[in-house]
Amino acid sequence: MDSHRDSSAANLTVDSLISGLESVGYVIDRSLATAVFLVTKLRKPILVEGQAGLGKTELAKALAALLDTRLIRLQCYEGLDVNSAVYEWNYQKQLLAIKIEESSNQSVEEKERHIFSREFLLERPLLQSIQAEDRSPVLLIDEIDRADEAFEAFLLELLSDFQITIPEMGTIRAKYVPYVVLTSNRSRELGDALKRRCLYQWIDYPSLEKEMKIVRTRLPGIEEQLARQVVAYVHTVRTLNLGKPPGVAETLDCAEAMRVLGKTHLDEDAVRETLGCISKSVEDDAKIKNAGMSTFLASERPPL
Amino acid sequence: MIRVTAEPSVTAETIVEFCRFARNRGLSVSVQETLGALEAASAIGAANINDLRFGLRSVLCSSKEDCDLFEECFEAFWNAGPTEPSSSDCLHPRDTRRSEITRRNPQGMMSTRSSGEDSSSERFGAQAVTGASARERLAKADFSELQQTDMAALEQIALRLFKQMACRLARRRRISTLQGQVDLRRTIRRNISRGGEPINLRFRERRPRPHRLVTLLDISGSMSPYSVFLMKFLFVLQKHFRNVDTFFFSTSLFEITPLFHSRRLHDALHDLSQIPAGWAGGTSIGGSLREFNLLHRRKLRSSDTLFLILSDGWETGDPSLLSAELSRVKRQVRRVIWLNPLLGMKDYQPLTAGMRAALRHIDVFASAHNLESLLALERHL
Repeated sequence: MDSHRDSSAANLTVDSLISGLESVGYVIDRSLATAVFLVTKLRKPILVEGQAGLGKTELAKALAALLDTRLIRLQCYEGLDVNSAVYEWNYQKQLLAIKIEESSNQSVEEKERHIFSREFLLERPLLQSIQAEDRSPVLLIDEIDRADEAFEAFLLELLSDFQITIPEMGTIRAKYVPYVVLTSNRSRELGDALKRRCLYQWIDYPSLEKEMKIVRTRLPGIEEQLARQVVAYVHTVRTLNLGKPPGVAETLDCAEAMRVLGKTHLDEDAVRETLGCISKSVEDDAKIKNAGMSTFLASERPPL
Repeated sequence: MIRVTAEPSVTAETIVEFCRFARNRGLSVSVQETLGALEAASAIGAANINDLRFGLRSVLCSSKEDCDLFEECFEAFWNAGPTEPSSSDCLHPRDTRRSEITRRNPQGMMSTRSSGEDSSSERFGAQAVTGASARERLAKADFSELQQTDMAALEQIALRLFKQMACRLARRRRISTLQGQVDLRRTIRRNISRGGEPINLRFRERRPRPHRLVTLLDISGSMSPYSVFLMKFLFVLQKHFRNVDTFFFSTSLFEITPLFHSRRLHDALHDLSQIPAGWAGGTSIGGSLREFNLLHRRKLRSSDTLFLILSDGWETGDPSLLSAELSRVKRQVRRVIWLNPLLGMKDYQPLTAGMRAALRHIDVFASAHNLESLLALERHL
């Protein structure tokens, strides 16, 4: 239990967060670590914005692993509504229960109380997140920019009071306030009210050194030379002004692919064969090919 | 770089002072944020000024642009420089009066004025022009006839009205009454007294998907009195609607969507000036549409795409090409809307060859010469 206490939120510092997250495979820089530290101290949600594939979602997973707590994930999408985000009644079961109780001589009020009891409640992620019994879970609200404005407004209530009202049952208040991580790809501007309630962190493309560190951490067996070449290659690709520049996830994919293909260093064939890991559209394919292999190969030669 | 490394005397006062300082510099810092900043500062402690910076940044910012502004403020405030005479409080804030001059206008999103002009706008103030009569006059005024001072006022009004428009559109979607699935929850609730037999059905409304919008703005010479304002209109449109693709065209087509994407208008306009679009050049609507059809046709979905062209229809190319390409577009979209600023003129007749060729493919032909006409677009969105 002592190890738990060590990793519990109470005695975290920024430094211990950095080393802790690294030990669960997440390389974090100090500015993000400070923000996460504040999440654990101020118990405010954090909104993480940035391009796709830079580890926004991973952050929540790593945090849950570090705090040794549950990760509850809500993936947002257009048309996401309260029924699939918060709770829903189990209608079929309710109908059956009504049928079964038909012949009993309970009053209507009793019947109603029964079929609107917890037994018939289907808990969705947001309700689950405030129902934790022993410790605060991590609630990941992924890609909030995809959800409708109406849903955003609903979230406001939850994120400020951590309580949910179910008309048939009353108000459920969180025993353990969850650590909330919201991510957004900035496909649309979020409402001011929501942003105001959150700590904010913008994640940018990592530096060469940081990305090397990430590759080493995530793909422990990879050869140093290959890793350095791949990272340098991806960095060059990012300067090409692509429609969708590759993120860290793509770097890892590419490096992994190279390893699976048995490459020991980067060459023209390797770039061509793994192009699908880096570019996700015909236009970007063409741009990378037009840039010429030599630009990449030149940048990849390891400094001697 | 921050030169102050360890500073024991980060007091509550300095934090509050910094929040005020940042607010004056244009960061939106309310009392609530100030309280958050105080909490953050006490949680982090003052051992490491960089940690404090990161912490305050996460509390006070809410977008990438804010973060950039924050860095400036932080630098200016904490790193007062070696020449600053040290008082009893080492982290003595800089004179806040000075920052008043470079103060950014928080509502200035629609405005491209430089900071120097701000002092005058503060005297006349946004409040002064929102009087009903001024507002009405400005809403009806033709963009090409507006004075420079009116323009700024109009932009402020426009920004607010456009936002309201976006909000109304969202609400309209919600109260639409298409009957779709049976809403089991409400059905059961209604029928408990009948033993749960579903006699009175309750329906769940199906919310129609919001329309996708593809906009093409003519930036050729003949449109120049209008294009700057329309550009700003499109910027706001893209900011508040999902699924908007924006293009500019004169003799050829330029995709602007990524330029407009989540930035301040000021930066977006600056970037725009860098692209080699034929500003104030000739017009080839047909050619531009052909380019659109070649490269971007897959953006169109016949079920829900609205195709919005803002142009005066002065075609220098072949009108039959325009007609052919527009009809190709038309087959692929729900509605073609053409906004022509010249329609605002009293005796304007769409007689130019280009406009005549286009007319039979157009579903909605409306004006775009003043604010009112732009807001009327709401009906078609």
